[in-house]
This record gives sequence, structure tokens and C-alpha cells, in this order.
Amino acid sequence: MFPSVVRALSRGVVAVGRQSAMKPITAVSARFMSEHKEETDEEFYSRYESFFNRSDIDGWEARKAMNDLAGQDAIAEPKVIIAALKACRRLNDYALAIRFLENVRIKSEIDKSIYPYILQEISPCLQELGIDTPEALGYDKPELALDDVDHIY
Amino acid sequence: MYSRAIVRSFLARPSAYNKLAANSSTAAVFQAEPKAPVQGVMQVREDKIVGRDIVGYGLNGEPQYFDSITFPFPSVRFMKNTPEIVALRVKEKGDWKKLSIEEKKKLYRASFCQTLVEVDAPTGEWKAIFGWVMVWISIAVFSFVGVRKFLTSTADDPTLSLEYRQAQLKRMIDLRVDPIDGLSSNWDYEKNTWKS
Repeated sequence: MFPSVVRALSRGVVAVGRQSAMKPITAVSARFMSEHKEETDEEFYSRYESFFNRSDIDGWEARKAMNDLAGQDAIAEPKVIIAALKACRRLNDYALAIRFLENVRIKSEIDKSIYPYILQEISPCLQELGIDTPEALGYDKPELALDDVDHIY
Repeated sequence: MYSRAIVRSFLARPSAYNKLAANSSTAAVFQAEPKAPVQGVMQVREDKIVGRDIVGYGLNGEPQYFDSITFPFPSVRFMKNTPEIVALRVKEKGDWKKLSIEEKKKLYRASFCQTLVEVDAPTGEWKAIFGWVMVWISIAVFSFVGVRKFLTSTADDPTLSLEYRQAQLKRMIDLRVDPIDGLSSNWDYEKNTWKS
């Protein structure tokens, strides 16, 4: 049995050798690089929307997502804002909702037509949840002044 | 490096570790009054947030309050959980339409120190900066003029008199300074006069 195995192996080696001699192996250039797919805006906003729509979202996650959105070079779409406001409602954090709207408002200042559009889209949600706009609270203008800590002492 | 080694050896002692753990940020949230600070390195900062909720990640994961446009949601609420605010939080769980504007503002200021517009508000500091720049520029200009007028005098310098300057010109011509397209090229050495 053992010799036959040896023979079979050697035959295999010969066969492989002969085959390679007859048919040269062509080099297949397969580079193992990661496939990076650019995320479209649509996917980006749906990702955040579904994140805010999670039923078990907590304050930590909501704030993290909002901070990340604030860091983006983009203004959140109304559907994301609505989802975020509803998340604030579930978290019972009114201040968070106002702060988020303020941030959206400040980011919208690059173009005058953006903020009215966003307000128009989210106003049903605002009325349903009882959230005031930053303007209604007077937060579109500085309300209080704070001494610069560098100048106190 | 050396101080870190000290901290690490300090933390390695179980008694110190337990004390720190009892005063750590998580425990600090539920303390109404600040505990007497334990002698240690990590106490100072942690004691400042005593009585406040740690609510998120914030700027870098540290429990600290900081108002910023780019990171609008700090990890700590700004104000301590006083009974008044705790009562408001209970009310906040109900319908938000029933909250008055004052209560809403109070809730906001309990979580955040400044609104984002206030963070961005102009401070008027540029006026002071402009004024000081002008003060120092005028001091510099006046000292320059004063030095030129009162400290440096050319009147008694003999080398600036006409004779000295003419002698120097003569010597430059004798030395044939710049003979191709400069001073000496305009001098006629045969007639001993300027070329016309």
C-alpha cells in the first residue's frame, strides 16, 4: 500500500511538472485590497435616521450621533431631524431637542433658503411634540452674556 | 513618565483604589454633596462635576463641560441636580406642551451653560486689541521720530561737510570706481572733467 502511495504521489508530481511544462502558468494579478464603497448621501441620512429611530436608544448614543452630525460638513435632512427630535422625546430631554435645533439653525446660516425649508418640513413634528423653535425661546439672539474665563482673574 | 509611574504605583494599592473608585465619576453623579477630597492625583477634576449627571460622550470621553459649536453636546450637564430641577425633570416626562417658556428655559440652562448663539456672539474684544495695537505703534513712531530729532545729530559730523564729500568723490574717481557704466565711466581722465 505504502509503495503505491509513493508511486501515486510521484506520478502526481511528474504529472504536475509535465503539465506546467506544457502549459505555463499565467500570473493572475489579484490584489487583495479592501473594497471601499463611497456612502451616498441617501445612505448616510437613512443610517442616522434609523439610528435615531431605534427604540432602545439612550442619551449617550443620541448625543454621540448628534455630535457626529454637528461635525459633518452637512446639514441634516428633515427626516433625520424629525427622528432625532422623536428620540429626544423618548429620552424625555427637552434641552437636547432645543440644542439640536439650534445647531441645525446655526449650520443653516450659510444659505437663507435652507432654514425656512427645514422649519416647514419639521413643523408638524414640532407641534406634535410641543417643541419650540429656538426663535420662540429667544435663542436666535444672545440672551445672557458670560464673562470670558480668561478675563475673570 | 516618572509621575505616571508614581500614579500607577499609587493606584496599585488596594486602599487607594477603593477610595478612588468610591469618588470616581460614576459614583460622583449620585452624591448630593461633594465628598472631602481624597489625597490623590485624580480627585481635583472629578470633584467639580459632583452632583451633575454624566450624560454622554462629549468632546473626548472625559466628564467635563465645554460649550462649543463643533461639539454642542458636552458629556456633563451644566448644573447640579437641585430639587427644583429634579422636579422639573419629572414634569418634563409628561407632555411638553404643558411646560411654560420659563420652565423650558430653565431646563435648557440646567443642561447647558450658553446657547450656541451666545458662544458665537461677538465679544467686542477686537476694539481693545485694535486700541493696544495703535498704542504700541504710536509709541514706536514717536520714539523713532524723537531719536532722530533729539538723539542723533549730523550737524557736527565733519565727514558730512561739503569738502569731505568732494574729497571722497575725487578719491573714488582716482580709484576708478565702476568704470564701465557707473561713476568713473562718466569722467574724462584726459580732460580731467566730467564727460559732457
